[in-house]
Amino acid sequence: MAIVEHLASLLRKPIETSDEAGERSVSTQKTGDESGNTVIVAPPEFRFMYPEFLPDPAPETRNRLREKLERMDMLQRRSVIEIPEFYTGSIMAVTVADANSPNKFARFVGICIQRGGSGLRAWFILRNVVDKQGVEILYEMYCPLIQKIEVLRLERRLDESLLYLRDALPEYSTFPLNMEQERRLNNSVVPINPIKVKLRPRPWLERWERQNLQGVEDLNLPQRFYDKAEKVAKPWEKYDLMLHYRKTIPAEEQEKIFAEVHSQLQQQELKRKLRRRRGFDNEQ
Amino acid sequence: MNQADLSKLVSALRIAVKPKPRLLSCPEGPAGRLKKLRATVTALVKYERIELNYPRADEAQGYAERLISDAIRNRDCHKHTMEMADYWLNEKQLVHKLFKVLVPRYQNYNSSFTRLVLGPKTYPGYYAGTAILELKGNPFPALQPENHNYHYWLHNVLLEEAKKEFRSAREERNAGTTESVTTES
Repeated sequence: MAIVEHLASLLRKPIETSDEAGERSVSTQKTGDESGNTVIVAPPEFRFMYPEFLPDPAPETRNRLREKLERMDMLQRRSVIEIPEFYTGSIMAVTVADANSPNKFARFVGICIQRGGSGLRAWFILRNVVDKQGVEILYEMYCPLIQKIEVLRLERRLDESLLYLRDALPEYSTFPLNMEQERRLNNSVVPINPIKVKLRPRPWLERWERQNLQGVEDLNLPQRFYDKAEKVAKPWEKYDLMLHYRKTIPAEEQEKIFAEVHSQLQQQELKRKLRRRRGFDNEQ
Repeated sequence: MNQADLSKLVSALRIAVKPKPRLLSCPEGPAGRLKKLRATVTALVKYERIELNYPRADEAQGYAERLISDAIRNRDCHKHTMEMADYWLNEKQLVHKLFKVLVPRYQNYNSSFTRLVLGPKTYPGYYAGTAILELKGNPFPALQPENHNYHYWLHNVLLEEAKKEFRSAREERNAGTTESVTTES
């Protein structure tokens, strides 16, 4: 009970008085508040590296207390297992505990074609072609059955969702199951792979010509497809400011969330680096 | 469950945002909805106080707040903000007004930039009447009288405490007299 009370007190917002009070100027220091204490601010890239820490923007399902508890649980899980930074287009290997397999573990290598979910239900889909059969597996990142997540090649693609690989030639989705982890030359920037994938001839699973994909080669369809795509398109959505607002979390809230988790994530990262260095030294 | 869209950073709006947008149906459909709201937002920035029907005013308030908050966050050299200002303001001199007049005015605001006041209903019934949408800090006289008596002002705090003291002293006196009455009897 004491824990719940403590968390509830953390979520209590300061009382806002009249409009008049609101119009007074306020100092916009980011690294120091009025009492002179330093305020932790996470780097801006955190929202791309850890997007599952941001809650689902739909207001019907928002619950600040539940989100805070979820973040605590996520950090707890991350302290046990390393969940590395990855993006759509990265090639990953996931080892899952499986009671029915002979080794009790099942390992799958694939390219991440989509990631979604928020909080503890964050997931990603890995795709590979095994014995000429396309296989996709959805993994929940915080599932306790997952033993290990390795990123074999960390890179991004031109699109946020690579579902078109299902309609592409199989060579674009084939990765060797015994692939080894590739060493990155430049640790600070995640490279963007500008590859343009070739699709198989129609029929397709989705109308790719309507989706403004950057990572596919010219579709070479008859003009009537593009005409219909133009007819069906909603070009005004690009300017719909409230639509964008309802789909995302405001920057101030993002900063608050990442400031909370930033220090713990940094500590975990440092511990892992030390462990790796010690392991390397012991080997030597 | 969807992940939040990360492509744009938006400032938090200081108005109550309803979870679903209103359709504002018209012959042109969804494209026409934004066209109508564009006219409203342009008029709001031009005249700084407009009277219109409540549903459209409520929708336009959100868009006006978003436009101004983007202008404050990104300033005028940001490509996306310029595109939005160009789309939402039909008269191009208002783009200059947005960045040169409204941004400095609202830079340090902790509250919303617009005010939505309910207006008169011209005929009886259960329907959303008119509303007056205005930008704060406009040069016109205030719509609503200012409340010149806040509970947290010092003299009001002292008066409240004096009242409490007076009441508790009176209760003690009454308790004292009733006790003396009971002892006498």
